[in-house]
Amino acid sequence: MSERVDLKEFIGGFVVEAEDLLATANACLLEIDTAISDGKSKPKAVRDLFRTLHTIKGLAGMVGVEPIMELAHALETLLRTADRAGGALQRGAVEVSLQAVRAIGERVRLVAEGRPVPAAPARLIEQINATDASSQTIEAPPEIGGEWDARLSASERQQVFLDVQRGVPAWTLVFVPSEDRAARGITIATVRTGLAAIGEIIKVAPRTQLDASGKQAGIKFEILLLSTAPAARLAEVIDADPATVVPIAVPVATAAASAEPVPELEPEREADISRIGRATVRVELDRLDELQDQLAAMIVSRFRLERELAAQHARGVDVRKLREVTDLQARQLRDLRRAILRVRMVRVAEVLEPLALLVRSVARTSHKEVRLELDVRDAELDKAVADRLLPALIHLVRNAVDHAIEPPDLRVAGGKPRVGTVRIACTELASKQLELMISDDGRGIDRDAVARRSHREILDNQQLLEVLATPGFSTRDAVTQTSGRGVGMDIVKRVAVQELGGELALDTQIGVGTTFTLKVPLTIAIVEVFSFECERQSFVVPVAAIEEIFELGDDRIEPPARPTAEANAKRVALVHRRGHALPLISLGARLAIDKGTVAKNALVIRHNGELIAFAIDRMLGRQEVVVRPVDDPLVRARGIAGATDLGDGRPTLVLDLMELGDLGERVGA
Amino acid sequence: MSLHVTFRVGNATYAVPAAQVLHLESYDTATHVPGAPAYVAGLVQVRGRLVPVVDLRVRFGLPAIEHSLDRRVVVVQNGTRVAGLLVDSAREVVQIDEAAYQKPPDIIEEQASGFVNGVATAAKRLFLLVDVPRIIGEELSHGE
Repeated sequence: MSERVDLKEFIGGFVVEAEDLLATANACLLEIDTAISDGKSKPKAVRDLFRTLHTIKGLAGMVGVEPIMELAHALETLLRTADRAGGALQRGAVEVSLQAVRAIGERVRLVAEGRPVPAAPARLIEQINATDASSQTIEAPPEIGGEWDARLSASERQQVFLDVQRGVPAWTLVFVPSEDRAARGITIATVRTGLAAIGEIIKVAPRTQLDASGKQAGIKFEILLLSTAPAARLAEVIDADPATVVPIAVPVATAAASAEPVPELEPEREADISRIGRATVRVELDRLDELQDQLAAMIVSRFRLERELAAQHARGVDVRKLREVTDLQARQLRDLRRAILRVRMVRVAEVLEPLALLVRSVARTSHKEVRLELDVRDAELDKAVADRLLPALIHLVRNAVDHAIEPPDLRVAGGKPRVGTVRIACTELASKQLELMISDDGRGIDRDAVARRSHREILDNQQLLEVLATPGFSTRDAVTQTSGRGVGMDIVKRVAVQELGGELALDTQIGVGTTFTLKVPLTIAIVEVFSFECERQSFVVPVAAIEEIFELGDDRIEPPARPTAEANAKRVALVHRRGHALPLISLGARLAIDKGTVAKNALVIRHNGELIAFAIDRMLGRQEVVVRPVDDPLVRARGIAGATDLGDGRPTLVLDLMELGDLGERVGA
Repeated sequence: MSLHVTFRVGNATYAVPAAQVLHLESYDTATHVPGAPAYVAGLVQVRGRLVPVVDLRVRFGLPAIEHSLDRRVVVVQNGTRVAGLLVDSAREVVQIDEAAYQKPPDIIEEQASGFVNGVATAAKRLFLLVDVPRIIGEELSHGE
């Protein structure tokens, strides 16, 4: 290739799409698994799974990740066989498919991290190839009639047949695209979306129209639809005469075996068309962050405007009209901010999706029978919060299944239902927090056992939680097996309390069950900061506020020390930097914590267009933190923008150097 | 009768209604907040919450003491605000009859007197009831 492709952006797109597709694949597999338990088959889910894997294979091909292609291909072959046999999958095939999807997922993550991707596990590939896809070979499904029989796969025909038996009419609809229709906003994409909303599209077949002389005269689409909607409604969607829309007569009782070969399920090009009609857009979180940064910059400039206005007013200028405009602007900014926040919200139900899979696999390996119950209605959460929260929820749910829920026989012996329940419920609190309750009806946590093991007195659940969340309060030995819980509780607490600034509580009763209650903010301000030391105290400043960091040499001009601390705080030195003399403010003196430490570094900010340097002791690092407001009147002070936890469990102040620079301005004035 | 948490600062024993107390925490150090009043020891993090801590020794005009393991932070709630009171020690919970409260005589703890709104005897001991809103500077929040 002659041109350089921005591979990084390309890979990012691949990862986003692939993760989405993997989620779909897992959902399909779960659906199939549930159906098997109920003794049914899910031909549609098998077909969806097939298409999903085919798309993954294609995407992996575009970025050249062979192992993913290989895995997806093997699975695709397995599913094609299953589809041909009527769309039933065997339990063993589901298990193998889950493993393969997981293996693909692991490789996608490695791609995302830019790390080398290992080859597809040969044993797994062998296993997939050796798996007998279907439990039974279904007799060739009945004929539907018309031309459809030749154009549908066995499973598609099976589905049409089953649905018609259930009383859902099947329709052949003909949509003819035209310029006139397109001008009125009716295209194949809108027809698809419209039909999908009121029925199930089995197949869309594009056909060439011929005119009287047999020449090609445009295109039409034949659509096989299962729908209970009235003919008039369908006609409206495809913009056709209602009289021409009639259900096809499917011979219901027949089960005659058809000897003719069934067409292969081909990965359909239509799958791509159907995506056009979707009303959602995937956006990388970075771009939203960028939007928020811009908004923050706007809010700052608005404040500056406000200040100017106040200054004009003080000089006797009539600013009433202008003030009306700025007030309006303030409201608009607030609305804009709210709108941006809403964009960042994701549905909790969606966030919790992977947990169903987790419960299933942990229950399997630990020989438990567990049901996951979700009661989250339509609660929403900031994506950034959700991403941080998920690992904590995974720990809690895994522990519940692995340790808390008893083996089925024990449960029955104890008078409990055989199948254990893990329940996740959530409520939005007035305090802009989401309360998540993860409960199980398992054995409960034995406080005395934990006390013995930790050699600590435990009087209440709060203390119990503290002991469980002690890093290194280890597990996996006999004692914890009976005490019930403990794996990774330090991680859960760190996420809930330190990373998200939330709360964690525990309620447990022996033999009855355990409930963990997490309170997390609906949204958090995550900021990338530099951490540094000044007069032996740690502080952080947003990276975005800093123009430059440099080491201080001897080339500075210090004004003489002033007699009082107050006067010292206003002292401004000069430092030589790239041919300019920068004002250098001692941060220690400015904050009145000056102990005479010699500053070795300087942070440069742009303040009203001018560069100002702040002298500090030393840089510590750079990281992403959650900033929490410091708004109690006792601690509200100039230059303090909030506080954060750098991981030591103690608050570290977030400084607003702009505001501290303001003081310098006043000195000159 | 109602439950009170009692604590010591200097030579006197103080009490605060247990209903106002969220928890007792041991005290190691607080994050100094430059620019905050001198009686503010700083910020601590209690169960995920940022809590400003008032050093009652400084607030009551008493000399500072050496670091001691007995020191506690009494975390109190006042309306929507939550603050910590740094005390020399806090061990006991006692039943005090509110009806037995008297106006504090002028002589006691003259420095602290502004922050005490009652005196009561229980179990033959004298307790000074602290005025939480004044201590945590409720007037600061009205100053805007």
